[in-house]
Amino acid sequence: MPRIPLGDWVNDAVDWLLSHMAWLFDFLKSVFTGTYDAIDAVLQAPEPLILAGIFAVLAFWLRGTLAGVLTFAGFAFIDSLELWEDAMVTLSLVLVATIIALVISVPVGIWAARSNRVSGLVRPVLDFMQTLPAMIYLIPAILFFGTGASAGIVATLIFALAPGVRMTELGIRQVDKELVEAAEAFGTTPRDTLLRVQLPLALPTVMAGVNQVIMLGLSMAAIAGMVGTGGLGGDVNEAIGQLNVGLGSEAGVAIVILAIYLDRMTSALGVHVSPLGRRAAAKARAAQGLKVWSYRPRPQIAVVGVVVLALVAGGMGIFGGNGGSTTVADSKDVGQGKKISIGYIPWDEGVASTFLWKEILEERGYQVDTKQFDAGPLYTSLAQGTVDFQTDAWLPTTHEQYWKKYGSQLEDLGAWYGQTSLELSVPSYMKGIDSLADLKGKAATFGGKITGIESSAGMVSLLKTKVLKAYGLDKEYKVVDSSTPAMLAELKRAYSKKEPIVVTLWSPHWAYSDYDLKKLKDPKGAWGKGDGVHTTARKGFTADNPVVGEWLKNFTMDEKQLTGLEAEINKAGQGKQQDAVRAWLKKNPGVVDKLAPVAGGSGSAPAEAKRPIDVAWFPWDEDIAVTYLWKNVLERRGYKLNLKQMDVGPVYTGLASGDLDLNFDAWLPYAQKNYWDKSKDKLADLGTWYEPTSLEVAVPSYVKDVKSYEDLKGKADLFDGKIIGIEPGTGEMNLLKTKVLPGYGLDKEYDVVDGSTPAMLAELKRAYAKKEPVAVVLWSPHWAYSQYDLTKLKDDKKLFGEGNTIRTISNKEFPGQYPQLTKWIKNFKMSEEELGTLEAEINKGGQGHEEESVATWLKEHPDMVGRMTPQ
Amino acid sequence: MSSRLEAEALYKVFGRRPNEAVERLRQGADREELRADGTTAAVIDASFTVEPGQIFVVMGLSGSGKSTLLRMLNGLLEPTAGSVRFDDDDLTSLSDRELRKVRAKKISMVFQHFALFPHRSVLENAAYGLAVQGVPRREREARAAEALALCGLAGWEKSWPDELSGGMQQRVGLARALATDADLLLMDESFSALDPLIRRDMQDQLLQLQDSLKKTIVFITHDLNEAMRLGDRIAVMRDGRIVQIGTAEDILIRPADDYVASFTKDVDRSRVLTASSVMDTDVVGDEVSCGCETATPDTPFAELCAISARLTHPVAVLDAERKLVGRVPRQRLVAFMGDEQGDPEACDSPRDKGGDKVMSRA
Repeated sequence: MPRIPLGDWVNDAVDWLLSHMAWLFDFLKSVFTGTYDAIDAVLQAPEPLILAGIFAVLAFWLRGTLAGVLTFAGFAFIDSLELWEDAMVTLSLVLVATIIALVISVPVGIWAARSNRVSGLVRPVLDFMQTLPAMIYLIPAILFFGTGASAGIVATLIFALAPGVRMTELGIRQVDKELVEAAEAFGTTPRDTLLRVQLPLALPTVMAGVNQVIMLGLSMAAIAGMVGTGGLGGDVNEAIGQLNVGLGSEAGVAIVILAIYLDRMTSALGVHVSPLGRRAAAKARAAQGLKVWSYRPRPQIAVVGVVVLALVAGGMGIFGGNGGSTTVADSKDVGQGKKISIGYIPWDEGVASTFLWKEILEERGYQVDTKQFDAGPLYTSLAQGTVDFQTDAWLPTTHEQYWKKYGSQLEDLGAWYGQTSLELSVPSYMKGIDSLADLKGKAATFGGKITGIESSAGMVSLLKTKVLKAYGLDKEYKVVDSSTPAMLAELKRAYSKKEPIVVTLWSPHWAYSDYDLKKLKDPKGAWGKGDGVHTTARKGFTADNPVVGEWLKNFTMDEKQLTGLEAEINKAGQGKQQDAVRAWLKKNPGVVDKLAPVAGGSGSAPAEAKRPIDVAWFPWDEDIAVTYLWKNVLERRGYKLNLKQMDVGPVYTGLASGDLDLNFDAWLPYAQKNYWDKSKDKLADLGTWYEPTSLEVAVPSYVKDVKSYEDLKGKADLFDGKIIGIEPGTGEMNLLKTKVLPGYGLDKEYDVVDGSTPAMLAELKRAYAKKEPVAVVLWSPHWAYSQYDLTKLKDDKKLFGEGNTIRTISNKEFPGQYPQLTKWIKNFKMSEEELGTLEAEINKGGQGHEEESVATWLKEHPDMVGRMTPQ
Repeated sequence: MSSRLEAEALYKVFGRRPNEAVERLRQGADREELRADGTTAAVIDASFTVEPGQIFVVMGLSGSGKSTLLRMLNGLLEPTAGSVRFDDDDLTSLSDRELRKVRAKKISMVFQHFALFPHRSVLENAAYGLAVQGVPRREREARAAEALALCGLAGWEKSWPDELSGGMQQRVGLARALATDADLLLMDESFSALDPLIRRDMQDQLLQLQDSLKKTIVFITHDLNEAMRLGDRIAVMRDGRIVQIGTAEDILIRPADDYVASFTKDVDRSRVLTASSVMDTDVVGDEVSCGCETATPDTPFAELCAISARLTHPVAVLDAERKLVGRVPRQRLVAFMGDEQGDPEACDSPRDKGGDKVMSRA
């Protein structure tokens, strides 16, 4: 059998989707998160007990008194477990997933019910979605949607769609054929047949489907905690990660309460909204007589009532909550509410350092969000940029494979803790086993098993591929892959029974303080040198947050500090990590100022930096490069820049009117002459930062014998009579059409193809790859010259005019308002090499990643910041 | 005034390449041949005309294609070939939208299992056809109530279909069909699901309504008695083909083939036959020999027997001008009951009277 590379195909497909369909995923993400945020805001706003009351009233309407009482008790219980917020997060997640699932599945179900072909097509897709193990699409969902709600919603959606479609189809198909025929026989249109006969009669079954969608959604939402959705799923994930059965069962019970509530309510709703159910209810009501106690609102009134109640309660929550927000002293407010998200692996040193930084950064005015992950998803999230940094990277050994895979998308902010080690450990009651070599021949004692952790963990592969072989143990022992909690549970079990066991463990680890364990010696050094615990950040983090980046780079902790903090956190217990950090900080005064020093002087941010600067830029490569370069550099100096992309005309008008402050890409004195002349009285020229420039037509250098415009003559066949142009109406295109081509007598032979700069570049790339002749409109400086081997055609008659220089222009008032900045800009120069490499870097990074690209480039040009903004 | 319904050379073939199948059927292929290829010929070459105000009964066993035929008449099924004309419209050539309009206004249907909408009240059910036409609520409820009253259901408007007995449910079905004032009423085994007694009632009621409403009705049934009772004309279907069209008497007395004949065996002839079909026309004269009771050609068979029992000689059958058109000997009456139409034979063993003695002693 030949190997069918299905996995490679999937990888290729994922890569392709990532690079080509990003817009679609971004769109979906914004739809998902938008809906989620809205629902979550409504659910989070009211006081828990008020909302519990509203839920209880709903239950009372739908099912009766007992259900109402139990509902209130159940939700109050969740509140008393301090899981209310998480429960509402999970509820929002499930509601959003359900709404979206219904929007998709009901129409698909209807379609499938009406067409056997569609039904036949849909069925295997549903089977696929429902049976494919969740992990397989859960983790990739991060690639497309980043961590957080939207990835969770997508995973939930995939899992929960099927019953919605199936039950809708079944419900409609179940409707008596004679009834449908009767409707048709009386001339009912297909649409009315669906709406008036089929759907009403199918409604009970459809509602059973809705119920199933919600139930499956809830079970998936718990699993989706793995991708950082938070909520009860996050709690479960966290508890399991720390083998905290107590917290796990609390979250589990909360999920069960939610599940039972949603199940009973939707099934009751199913009875109420179906026409047959309404009829039965009407009959029962008529029999009882009208009493206030048995009052049940019609569904429309009920919905309106719930919305009003929710808004009232929400309003109370919002206005009541205002007093609680803390204000940070002005001088220390470095973050100014900027959001930073920290990811952590539930290992003690990770938890300790993460919550330490959460506290410190919050004191410095940042809004910090912590999320727990497994190692793999954490690195993915960092690489995706959905998490800003993490403090628990074991490098270079343990996390080597993650670093290999994602290192290029991450920043290493250095080690903050040394002295770590990986090892195999046995309980100290195992006499006579002190080193790895002692394990030899003792396989029978341990049942031939070494209890390992996640098979994906770096230390497991190290153990299997290197350590066991080094001591000749690979034939005797089998490493049992499981998970860290499972390993710890196994250790706990064996330890309590004094059974022999050998486990994979690392230092520092709390197991060493809880149990009396022996680290097996590694005389051959097979485990390699100990790792350092590093802080790693997403690419571009330090560029975005230079201050925090600096703090993190200088962050270190010694063993005493770390164990002290860990002990404090263990003492406080789950959910109170931050309180523990505060208590520890109180005992260790000065740590905050040491770890996050605040500059005392005002020199770092001049007074003029207070007002944000509006910078307009053209979507041309050199302008993107220089604008983002200035943005990065000036933000380090405390300025704030608002970037606005515009066309040439509006930029000049905006500058003249004072709406805009700066533009770095004025091609003067020729190309933009008409714009400049029109409003030069209201503009200021801050000088040239790049020269010389030129406009030209360029051909690849493999097109021999074409060196100048004269050479183009008579070669129209070669170029198919076309010169690939850029945006029509630009100065260069006008010059080319009206002056250059007629001047060289080429206007009869060649057509200038109007298009756009990206289209021209794409065409150039295509032709270049195939070595086809092509002539394109280009200008210098341009990165295309460093990317491709091109010939600029010689303009012997100087018809394109003298070279422009690229200048910075501003509105008239700018030099007065920003004297410091004006001085910097006037002295600013860039060489062709610098601009070319910066453009190439940005081009490589791709659209939307300009800031990261600039940050990368600045690392390679460390003197640039000082040169641009000398202090 | 009702209109005339004409069906011409209707074919309906289910399965792949139906047109090809029709061509083969026209060239004389039979149903079994097609079935081997996986296509099913449900209706083959059906042509008939229903005059305004007539009840036309299509009779056949299940699988004979009668329901399919009915559904082609209002376009629920599109004929594979042939045409249906009603009220100057060629239904087979109408667009879907026009066809729906015709169905809403001119043709209504009554179903075997009533097909009442369980989520609508009796009144809403009866008003359904009008609702589809977009008649305003007040008017359609008035008209529906009227139709319900006509079917004997006044006072049940607010009930739900499942609270009614089968017969009453079918009256709702009938009222729903009548409420739209459609000229053509298609009834698909409408009384088959009812108990025999209720079925009789419903048949009577239909005939009674028809006396006053004069609709054009196509009635499907598998019950020959019902067919004979209701039908002005009857079409007998077998294996997708119409084997005979005629009045009840035609079918009974002049069956087109053995199949039809075997059907008519179990029929209660006394209900269907009249003097005209039983009488012996050999002795035509203008004299009436005595002043005894006489019959007319329309006298039902049962009554003829009663008259005969009171007379010692054959019953004379007189036409409207009291001319003798035939006479009915008693033997002939007995023979018709026994499905024997030959002359009596001579007795083989006249001495044997044992049977009588046994009877009298008992």
